[in-house]
Parts: sequence; C-alpha cells; structure tokens
Amino acid sequence: MAATEMARRRPPFEAGRNGYIINLDDEERHFVRRLVGEVRELLTSMPVGDPKMSRLFPPAYTNASGQDAEAEAEYQRLMREELVASRLDSIGRIDELLADTTTNTMTADQLNAFVVSLNSVRLILGTILDVSDEDDEDDDPSSPLAAEMAMYNFLSWLLDSAVTALMQG
Amino acid sequence: MTLVAAAPSTIVRPEVDESTALDNPWIVLVWNDPINLMSYVTFVFQKLFGYSLEKATALMLDVHEKGKAVVSSGSREKAEMDVYRLHEHGLWATMQKDGGQKDGGD
Repeated sequence: MAATEMARRRPPFEAGRNGYIINLDDEERHFVRRLVGEVRELLTSMPVGDPKMSRLFPPAYTNASGQDAEAEAEYQRLMREELVASRLDSIGRIDELLADTTTNTMTADQLNAFVVSLNSVRLILGTILDVSDEDDEDDDPSSPLAAEMAMYNFLSWLLDSAVTALMQG
Repeated sequence: MTLVAAAPSTIVRPEVDESTALDNPWIVLVWNDPINLMSYVTFVFQKLFGYSLEKATALMLDVHEKGKAVVSSGSREKAEMDVYRLHEHGLWATMQKDGGQKDGGD
C-alpha cells in the first residue's frame, strides 16, 4: 500500500531516458480518455457559435468587428476547419496511446499532442465554470459545479506536469 | 498599457532578414485570460517562436500583468500563421496593423 501511495504521488509525467514516462493509473487514463472523447464529440457535432467552445475559436483580428471584419471572415472561413482537424488529430493520437495500457512511455510529439488536448478540455471546462483570475483558490465543495471544478483542477495539475516534463526534457 | 510600442524592439528573430523586419506592418498580440496556465503560456512561446526561457517568461508576465503582449511581427501572412498556431494551442491571440492599436470605441 505504501509503495502504491508513493507511486501515485510521482508527477503524472516525467522526462525519462527514452522519451517521457506516464504515471497514470487505469482509472486516470480512462478519465482523461472520456474527457477528450467529449471534446471530440463537441468538435465534430458543434454548432458554430456554441458559447462553451468560444475559447477554442477566438477572433484572429483585434478589430474583428471593425476595419478588419472582412479579413476576419476570411480567416474563419479558411482556418476554422484546420483548427478542428488539428485538434481531432491530437485527440486521436493521445486516445490511441492511453488505450494501450501496456505502454507507459511516449515521445515528445505525443506529449505535445497530450498537452494541447488537455488544454482544450480546460478551455471548455473553464468557460463553463466561468473561471476568473480572482477565484483561483475558490474550491467550495458545496458549489453545484464542485465536480467540474475538481476535474478542472486535476487537468491543471496534469497539464502543468506535462509542460514541466517537456521543458526539462 | 504602454508596452506595445516598446515590445517589438526587444524581439530577436534571427531567422528574419532585416528588410522583412523593417517592413513589418503587422503585429501579433496575446491577451491575458484566466484559464491558460502561466507555465503553459511560457511553454507555447518557447515552442512556437524559439524564444529563450527568459524571454518567453518575460512575455508571459507582460500578458499576465499588463493584459497583453506583442509576441511577434511581420508580414500579414506571417502574422496570420502565427495567430493560427497560437489559436491551435488555445491562446487568445489577435493580429493588427502596427500602430493601429485601438483602445476603446468600436
């Protein structure tokens, strides 16, 4: 038991000799797969303009509704599909990786895909939770969104660990 | 909000030749947001632009403390590609003509 507890306290991602090591148990793997699967659903079935997806598709021009409105429309027309495709590709790669529970190492490319996908989930959850700079420490267990907040914090922890591993590796 | 005028002079982009750097009508801004982690933003600046840890951290802190920072500049095509790559990574980035900073109004 003590050894298991210790193992679980290791960082979820570590730079190793041959790539990056994933220290996630089956339940955590399943949880991450479920969340990115939900993002995949949203990306493939999303009605344009769904407010919870707004952070994934920000405007490209500072003056998007003013002098650059035409260029903005052109960017959205040309690049939106690219953004969707790129995110689906990242999600597909990490889903495949996590599905194989015999593997606990990954390449830098795979960890990069992981990082981008984790961040996509956070952007959607953070939008739903209406996270602001002021309530970083707000963890009220009686909140109706306490479960979502716990997920969000878990994802933040995973993402920070993955970024740290990539910056060290 | 005085950083916009100062920031481009601190950007070192050895891959861009001088004539392009001088003729850089577009700038790319990253805006502060409460969701993206500071470590993640720093990481993205390093990954996408090849900036040193020090430079990427300084830009991230500008975004965090001043609300925005200029992270790159260049031709319209380059700026659009940089914006796209930042969007791909979930950062809130926009482009505008240099000197075309609009504060308020619509």
